[in-house]
Amino acid sequence: MIDTVILSWTTFIYLAVFAFYLIRMLSGKEIWGRLGTAAALMALLAQTAALILRWVASYQMGIGHAPLSNLYESLIFFSWSIMALYLVIEWRTKSRSLGTFVAPVAFLCMAYASLSPNISSRIQPLIPALQSNWLTSHVITCFLGYAAFTVAFASGLMALLKGMERDTSTPDGTALGKNNVTPPQTNFQRFIGHIPEPGILDELIYQSAALGFVFLAIGIMTGSIWAHYAWGSYWSWDPKETWSLITWLIYAIMLHARYVRGWRGKRMAVMAIVGFISVLITYLGVNYLPGLHSYQ
Amino acid sequence: MSKKNPVWSFFASVKLAIVLLILISVASILGTLIPQQEAAGLFISRLSPGMADMLRGLQLFNIFHSPWFMVLMGLLALNLVVCSLDRFPMAWKRFRQEGAPNREDVFEGILPDQVTIKETPLAEEAQRLEVLLKKKTGRVSRGDADDRSYLYGEKGAYSYFGVYLIHLSVLVVMAGFIVGFFFGFEGYMSIPEGESSAIVEMKRGKGVKKLDFAVRCDRFFIDFYENGAPKTYRSDLTFMQDGRAVHSSSALVNHPVTFAGMRFYQASYGMIPTGDPVMAVMQGDNKVKDVKVAIGMEFDLPEKKAKVQMTRVEENLMGMGPAVKLNIQSPAGKIQFWVFEAIEQIVQANPGLLEQVPLFNPDAFAPYTFSLGQADKRYYTGLQVARDPGVPFVATGALLMMIGFIIVFFCSHRQIWICLDRKAGKTRIRIAGKSNRDAVGLKRDIRKLLDGIKLNGDATI
Repeated sequence: MIDTVILSWTTFIYLAVFAFYLIRMLSGKEIWGRLGTAAALMALLAQTAALILRWVASYQMGIGHAPLSNLYESLIFFSWSIMALYLVIEWRTKSRSLGTFVAPVAFLCMAYASLSPNISSRIQPLIPALQSNWLTSHVITCFLGYAAFTVAFASGLMALLKGMERDTSTPDGTALGKNNVTPPQTNFQRFIGHIPEPGILDELIYQSAALGFVFLAIGIMTGSIWAHYAWGSYWSWDPKETWSLITWLIYAIMLHARYVRGWRGKRMAVMAIVGFISVLITYLGVNYLPGLHSYQ
Repeated sequence: MSKKNPVWSFFASVKLAIVLLILISVASILGTLIPQQEAAGLFISRLSPGMADMLRGLQLFNIFHSPWFMVLMGLLALNLVVCSLDRFPMAWKRFRQEGAPNREDVFEGILPDQVTIKETPLAEEAQRLEVLLKKKTGRVSRGDADDRSYLYGEKGAYSYFGVYLIHLSVLVVMAGFIVGFFFGFEGYMSIPEGESSAIVEMKRGKGVKKLDFAVRCDRFFIDFYENGAPKTYRSDLTFMQDGRAVHSSSALVNHPVTFAGMRFYQASYGMIPTGDPVMAVMQGDNKVKDVKVAIGMEFDLPEKKAKVQMTRVEENLMGMGPAVKLNIQSPAGKIQFWVFEAIEQIVQANPGLLEQVPLFNPDAFAPYTFSLGQADKRYYTGLQVARDPGVPFVATGALLMMIGFIIVFFCSHRQIWICLDRKAGKTRIRIAGKSNRDAVGLKRDIRKLLDGIKLNGDATI
């Protein structure tokens, strides 16, 4: 199938995107960043085309459905959402540092989809339980939420790295400053130097977590409507439902801690990482638990 | 006021909310790791009796319906109500607060680009700005003094209520949960094809419920894709009241049937034996008919003008298993032979048997082949039955939550003050603003106002 060929190429381009963004931060040369953005745009367009081709192909097979129906397709759409959201943020903030932390997640999703022997890339017909108009809206809203949480997680990692540099550089930094000698920057220092200021990261963590929170809420709502028609109950404490609620509660805690208790910086970064772990359990971990929601 | 009450302050704290949310999360995690309800059986059997009793005592095998989980939820609801009541007056005050137009303090420390000098008379500029500001904020209050004019406009003051709407929505969803828990039910019925039933087996071991109508499964239908995956499960149902059919409809997965306020879902299916063994009459690969096995059973094969009769039915003929003796009368004459259920194995064990003993040949009356099947099987359909009067509450809650999200994340309170005064024979215009959430949007509004002034010509700066 042509779509799977394009998608395996996309996988490698995302790896290249990661490399370009990383080299940019290590070398400090912006040309690598521009290269990364160009490659990311190209890969995203190719991925979009592959998804459309897959959609069309399913109709030609007489089993037409949106390419959002199994683990393979969901991984593809997850990485698509991550990169699409990232490119919007890059365009809005004019900053490429986030890409170094987001692109590897998109790459790993694609690599897992393409390389895992347990994941079939075949276009499969929809089993009766999935034959619903709610499938598309449920999956899209959930994965947009997951993508936003991925951005919050990446920003959290950046904030923690930035914080590490603070802790190590202050003692002798003042002494050198007095002699007016600029020390040669190591690659790591340059790397850290490219990470945006904590205030900006904080805003990014908050905004992406809030975006994910809203999308996950809509995802849970569309899922509940679907369950109401498919399973006889809008909520049945199935492991995936329960974990989606846990994830939502974690981000609810995070947002309230910020609004009311004024959490910033490191604490928000840690919450973003905890939340993302919960997202991963919701998405992949629950497949190892018995329930109605497992991917086949 | 009761606000100094320690119980009140305990429930008004966000710390409590965070602790409760963490506890509910931990309980939910346990609920996904420990097998729950019916699934717990196998797990319990692997535990020591003492351990099993302890976990059962803590209701860890039915966490989501356990009293202590309900208590956690109840505390969260109470916390939510008290927190909101505690803070609401402040939001109300902010909402009602009339922005006095003639405030000087807001202009302290404004940026230089928020000040413009114009040649036009003050009154004319004030008039124009009032119109511009009205376009931005809807309502404008104006204060005129001898040498100066103040304008004040605001919008989105309602955005202080968004968070309370979200809290209310959570409470409405919880109310829906409770209504469904107490006044709804979930159960299961299994109905063989062609039969009807009024018995619903309730979930969570709550016994059975007898409906005051019966559900008949006219047909269960299953279809597969070429790769063998299931494509359609469908039950054609008829609802019977006092023996009369009152409503017919098909239940498919994702398309339940609603009747008498209950929803019937296609949930499962299976096969059951119908009781009597059956003899199949085949012509090549086509089945001509199935006949119930019984002594004296008669049927016709019209194509050959034949009349067939079962003259003997043996459970185990000569140690070769069940067999039926047929007597066939046709224009071609009369023929008798035995039909064995296990004919294939018999022939395999005795090669050439059919040639030697034509009496055992099921193909003896060409072009027909007779075979004894096992007892015939029939589909039964498994229907999930549910009635949940809490659904409208939950749906309303979800809608309120969406509106709340839109208000909290997309709306903000913006206040804009404008002061016009005379400075060295010219008109000085200063614009200041405040926003609770959206500083960027406010800046954009102010910029547009400034652009609006400049568009009107003779700007001197």
